[in-house]
Parts: sequence; C-alpha cells; structure tokens
Amino acid sequence: MSDTAIEVQDLVKVFRRKSHEPIKAVNGLSFRVQRGDIYGLLGPNGAGKTTTIKILTTLLAPTSGIARVMGYDVAAKPLAVRRQTCVVLQEDAIELYLSVRNNFRTFGRFHGLPAKEIEQNIDRLSELFGLREYLNEKGMDLSGGLKRRVQVAKTFMVDKPIVFLDEATTGMDAFNKRRTLEAIREESRKGRTIVLTTHLLEEAEELCDSVAIMNHGTIIAGGSVEDVKSLGLRLLYLSLSLERVSETVIKAIHERQPLRLEVKDNTVEVTVRDAALALDILAAVRATGHVQHFEITSASLEDVFVQLVDKEGSAG
Amino acid sequence: MREVLAVVYREYLIRRTSPTWLFFDLAVPLLYLLMFGVAFDKALGQGLQVSGETIAYNAFFLSGVLSMSCFGSGMNQSYGFFVDRDNGIFYEFLTYPMTRSQFLLGKILFQCSMAVVQCILTIAAGTLLLHIAIHWQFLLLVLIGMTIGTAGWFFFLAIIAFRIRRNDTYNTVINVTYFVLMFLSSTFYPLDRVPAWLSALAWLNPLTWHTDVLRFLTIGVGTLSTVILEVIGFGLFLLLSFWYAVRTLQRAA
Repeated sequence: MSDTAIEVQDLVKVFRRKSHEPIKAVNGLSFRVQRGDIYGLLGPNGAGKTTTIKILTTLLAPTSGIARVMGYDVAAKPLAVRRQTCVVLQEDAIELYLSVRNNFRTFGRFHGLPAKEIEQNIDRLSELFGLREYLNEKGMDLSGGLKRRVQVAKTFMVDKPIVFLDEATTGMDAFNKRRTLEAIREESRKGRTIVLTTHLLEEAEELCDSVAIMNHGTIIAGGSVEDVKSLGLRLLYLSLSLERVSETVIKAIHERQPLRLEVKDNTVEVTVRDAALALDILAAVRATGHVQHFEITSASLEDVFVQLVDKEGSAG
Repeated sequence: MREVLAVVYREYLIRRTSPTWLFFDLAVPLLYLLMFGVAFDKALGQGLQVSGETIAYNAFFLSGVLSMSCFGSGMNQSYGFFVDRDNGIFYEFLTYPMTRSQFLLGKILFQCSMAVVQCILTIAAGTLLLHIAIHWQFLLLVLIGMTIGTAGWFFFLAIIAFRIRRNDTYNTVINVTYFVLMFLSSTFYPLDRVPAWLSALAWLNPLTWHTDVLRFLTIGVGTLSTVILEVIGFGLFLLLSFWYAVRTLQRAA
C-alpha cells in the first residue's frame, strides 16, 4: 500500500465564461500528501486553494493534469474518490429546517452508516464538539459559529481516510475554535489524512505537519512548517517593551527599513530579514528610549507568508 | 439503492417539518377539481363533445388535474434546489458517495409517492362527490402514469433549475413555461374543437401526451393507437430529460 494519500501533478483549472478573459485559477500545481498527515494549503484570497479542494473532492473537473486521491483519479473515478473522502466546504452547509440531530442522521445515512452506529456517533460527537444541548435545535436557530461547528462535527461521523476542511473554523469564537482544533488533532491521531485551507496562519502552524503556500494558482513554498519558516528568508521577530513609544523611536526603526512594524500600546513589534538588522534596531531604540524588555525569536509562519506573497506579487 | 433511499429519507424529514405545506400539496389538485371543474361543468351545462361522445366536464378535466399536479410536484421539487443552494447543502450533497443520477432519483422518489397519494385522493373525490365513472381496472396504470409524469417533469424542470442561478428568474421562467404548456395542451379543452394552429402546437407538447394517456386510463376517452404513440413520446421525453439533467448536474458545481 502506497504512503501517498493525495497526489497532484501539473494540475490546471481554467474557468471560461462568455465575453470574459479565461481565468487560470490553478496553474500547474503539484504536491503530495502523506497518509496520516495534516496538510495545510495556505494563500491569499484567489490563490486557488478552494478550487484545488473542489477538484480533489470531485466538485470541479480539472482542465488538465492529474489529481489522485487514495490512488483514484478524480476525473476518471469520482465516485471512488467520494467514497474515500469527507468535506467541509467553505460555504456554510447545514439543513436549516432540520434539527442538529437530524442533520447528523441524514449525513450518516448518506455515508451508509447503520442506524445504531449513527446514534452512537451522535453521542460521541455532540460530546467532543460541545453540541449536546443543541441536538434538538433547528439549523436555522443556530448562530453562525455553531452552524460551522455542526458542519465540521458531521465530517467526523464517518471513518473516511481523508478529510478536507476548507476554512473550517471561519466564524467560530476562540473557545469553539480551540475545541474544533483539538478534535481535528484527535482525528488525525487515528491515522486520518487531513487537508485544510486557512487564512489563520497560527492555526496552520499549530496543526499542520506540512504546508504549501499558494499564490496565483501555484505553490510558491512548501514543506514542513519549519522548512517553510526557514526558507532562506531568515526572518526574525523583535519585540520591544518601552516606557513610552516616542516619535523618535518610530523614526529610528523606520530608517532601518524593517519588513513590518507594529505598535501596540508600549510595545513595538518588528520583523526583520537578518540578525544584524535586529541588533541594529535594538541598539538604536536603546539609544533613544528606555527599553524595559526585548525578545528576538524566529518569525511566525504569518510573517513568512506575507513576505513570500509580497515578493511574488512584486515579481509578478 | 441505499444512496437513493438516503435521499428519500432526507426529503421525508424536510417535508415532515411543514405539515401545512404537506396538506396544501395534497389538497391543491383536489381543490382544482372541486372548484374549477364544478364551475365549468355547470357553465357548460350539457357537457363536452369529445370524439363524438358527450362527456361531463368534471370527468374530462380529471386527467387534466392529475397531469397538472404532476407538473406542480416536479416544479416544487426542482425549486428545492434553490433552497438547498441557499443553505449551502447542495454542494455538500455533490461530495457525498453517490452518483448524480442516484441523487436525482432519490429526490424524485419521495415526490412520486406524494403524487400517488394526490392521485388517489383526487380520484376518490371525483368518484364520491362528482360521480365520475372511473375505469377501476386501470387504476394501477394510472398510478404508474402519475409516477412517470412527476419524474419526467421534475427532470425537465431540474435542468432549468441547474442552469439558472437566481430563484426569481427561475420563478418567472417556470411560470411562463407552465402557462404556455397548460394552455397549449389538452388539459382544459378537447383539441378537436380548437383552432388548427393551437391544436398542432398542442400535439408537440408532452403535457398533452401525459394528459391524454391519463384520460384514456381513467375514463376511456381516446384511441389506443394514439395513446400508445403518446406513451412512447412521453417515455422519450422522460429519458432525455433524465440524461440531460444528470449531465447538467455534473457541471452544476
């Protein structure tokens, strides 16, 4: 049995509409996902993440290239692919007129679960996702975050080897998001392969074994989270707590052209390209104000992401 | 089959949440027959001359009511795609482990069972209240005719629902289609007494074929050879609509 759960090779998707220029949403995309991994597809709006997920879940046919899920070609064997996968789409998808319990029941039936197993799973998932008190509420009466939670929870009703989560935690509050992320991690530990797209890079950093940063329909960086973070950019994050953030301090930092500068109360956060510049900024700030505390760490995935996408944008 | 039954189960759960809707869906053909049929029956007085026979308008109109209710059932069910699209669940369905044809068959199977109940209620009311002489020996064929008619119209209207993105546009298109098909058919009047152009157009209309078959089976009006041709015509219409609806659904995402 192959270790590869998903294989994408030179995938292209072009949308053609009458009297419009064709749009190349996916442009020669290639990547592999190992079984049991949590794989993150990251990228700005319009990068082609959702189109890729739609192709992998058989909602869209590719224009050219190959996409295989558990060895099945998505274009030639769509039903076989659907039998291996579960999907949370970017759009809310819930039966508004049915109770949460009946939402679970219909989903279980569609995936061929016996009635007894459906009830057991409802019990387990309502506990895991904190939905017990809402089981008899209708979909239309739930808040946006709760609807999303039901949608994600449904996916774990069935034991499919691959789960696609397209912006799964959108609209959830911090508490629900935490619960959902824990549940995703729990499911991954059982050996399921999870492919997720997200705008929240700290979420990807926390969950994913490997990530790919997409822009203009192709991957501009990929690998483990650590690999991507150290992609020759050597970004550093410098946090400075000062007694007072004066104009002189800001000017001194600006003159050194950091990649990012953010002021939050008495804290200045700076992202720079190398250690020498970080130390230079630290020295300059020290000369102009009283530094109470400073911290230099490697930059977050978000910093790397912004830098990569910016670089791509200016090159393109 | 499991996949088709899962769709039927889902449709059943949805309909169960709205008893008012369920009541009106079953009662509308009945009300049509009792109000419209009775009014015209009285207005016409001596009944209609059809193929040399005099028939009470109530009896003539019964099959029109039945075929209209098949069209109405198909229309309601195809409109459901807009509701599913608004709920977002439509696209999720397309990722479930079933074929597009299983999805469509499941959607219509529940509605066909509703059409059968509609038919039984309408025929019972026609017999008991309006004293229409029904050919009971063909009742099973009438019920099969209702099932096929509902499925045919649903598949046809589903094509339109998949191709149109806005529900207000869909409503307009369907209302105009319904109006044209209804009045260019044998639903309300016998075609041998209307202008030649209208009669010629009506013979091209699947609603005419369906109504004529149901009329032949319920009250015995019409000739067997014509009815056989109409059965073949409607069968082809059903198969073509199903094939094209599946094809359109495959591209709906």
